[in-house]
Amino acid sequence: MRVVWANIEDVWREAAARWTLITYFILSTIFIVIFASAVNLDIVDGALAGARLFGKDVEMRGGGIGIEQLVMYSELVFSIIIYGFSVLLAVFATAHLVPRMQEKGTVDLYLSRPVSRPALLLSRYVAGLLLAASNVVYLTGAIWFIVAWKTHIFNPRFLLSGVIMMFVIAALLAFAFLVGTITSSTAVSIMSSYALCLMSIFLSIVHGRIDAVFSHDWLAAVVDGLYWIVPKAWELGGSVAAYVTGPISHMKIPAPGLSAFVSTGMFGITCLVLAVWRFQKKEF
Amino acid sequence: MTETLIEVRALRKEYASRVGKPRIIALDGIDFTVRAGELFGLLGPNGAGKTTTVKILLGLTAPGAGTAFIGGLPVSNPESRRHTGYLPEGHKIPNYLTARQAMTIFGRMSGMSSNDIKERVPALLERVGLAQWADIRIRKFSKGMTQRLGLACALVHRPNVLLLDEPTDGVDPVGRREIRDLLREEAKNGTAVLLNSHLLSEMELTCDRVAVLRKGKVAAEGTIDELTRRTAKYRMIATPVDEPLLAMFRETGAGVERVNGHLELSVNDLQHLNALVDGLRSRGGMLQELSQMRSTLEDVFVDLVKTEGQQS
Repeated sequence: MRVVWANIEDVWREAAARWTLITYFILSTIFIVIFASAVNLDIVDGALAGARLFGKDVEMRGGGIGIEQLVMYSELVFSIIIYGFSVLLAVFATAHLVPRMQEKGTVDLYLSRPVSRPALLLSRYVAGLLLAASNVVYLTGAIWFIVAWKTHIFNPRFLLSGVIMMFVIAALLAFAFLVGTITSSTAVSIMSSYALCLMSIFLSIVHGRIDAVFSHDWLAAVVDGLYWIVPKAWELGGSVAAYVTGPISHMKIPAPGLSAFVSTGMFGITCLVLAVWRFQKKEF
Repeated sequence: MTETLIEVRALRKEYASRVGKPRIIALDGIDFTVRAGELFGLLGPNGAGKTTTVKILLGLTAPGAGTAFIGGLPVSNPESRRHTGYLPEGHKIPNYLTARQAMTIFGRMSGMSSNDIKERVPALLERVGLAQWADIRIRKFSKGMTQRLGLACALVHRPNVLLLDEPTDGVDPVGRREIRDLLREEAKNGTAVLLNSHLLSEMELTCDRVAVLRKGKVAAEGTIDELTRRTAKYRMIATPVDEPLLAMFRETGAGVERVNGHLELSVNDLQHLNALVDGLRSRGGMLQELSQMRSTLEDVFVDLVKTEGQQS
């Protein structure tokens, strides 16, 4: 446990010293402030009398939308934005953890301690996840608080959607760790993680119509196989939206099946196992 | 009998080379031991296998064959590093940390409790002369200061085995002496110290015993005294020294060389030396000075490396 704490302290101090932590939270705060100042609600006797978003009046069709509905819409939109934003920042803020540790003159200092290599790598992974989680909690917590403060409507689902975001971040971070272990390059880790994200979105989009998109059977089979291997960033984004609006919402956003979670989890675990195996075998 | 804390037996390591080229043999079956309280030095030209040996001892690299133990545990077991302190050459302690933070993190990774760390860190920083710099970021440190901090990090968990790669690199003469004293003190308390350095004079002043590595093998091993007293060489100042005298000396089988007004004599033993003195006196010569010459560690090292050159 002391090893984990030592790594958490190291990772957080590095993030603070290298401005990563500050930039991380400044960007998130800008995002929150923009949101807070953009939403103006007139609530009379607990009912929504008028609303302005980014200075424009929101049209109240058929005698106006209910305040719950407006909250649901805004939280839906913001959960999707936060999802993309937090995944982007998390990869950027943590992809250096392995390459920097593997630098000559540094790795010797870590490995000369009575710590097994898997424990060292995994404790760094936990430290990276905690760093990313702090940002997700900050973003979702602050937006949730502002919405609750302005509307007196508390939707715990918005807050809890951060767990799904962290699930996706955990899988991507595992991939970044694997690439970092193999290449010892922060830039390659970041680029390949983003490329994986984009590829997974592309695969998700074309997956439903593979036969129409690809003329060759073998190509369709490769794309189909890849789809089941890579994390389901797109579907899990939909899952965040479906979870935030909830089963009773009239919006009825389709939630992805359990397979999206299982395949993403499997991908993350496989990457982590491979990263540990590679790190264990590596000679410094 | 003093406990053996570092044991290396028939250690061998090869590195893969480019396709079609022969593999590089870094270590070719080396053996040595370091006992508790001993300061042991590893010497050798570049590529002799010194760093590879230390890396194997720390589990950074796996040996191809042979065994290595620290404190009786195989080096593949992370527990063998529980009581091992290491100072790598050109180490990069994260420079965003302060000296205190770095020692705290490395102490914690070595299993120290917070209370123990709080007690140990200030004392150790004082000992390496960095007490005033405890809360300054390492990026502000000079090379010598970083080296002292590296040593403090290696010592933070009270190891009984110390592996040090160029510990005095970049340190001023006063600092070097302080580090030497510190290492002697550690050895006095029962720590086994393995030093790896190119500074031969430093090794000569610090180590009890050294091993010279050459092409992955131990070319020579012993105490500094044993290694530097290999040849019986004497310095003689006498008058008159003329060619017939030198010829007479040579006839006895002695090696004779005139150097800056004195003679350097290589003899077989003391009797041989006395015979030369008798010869000088019988010719009416006056002996002014006679002293044994000691080769330096550098001489021994250069001789061994030269031998390598001649062999290859």
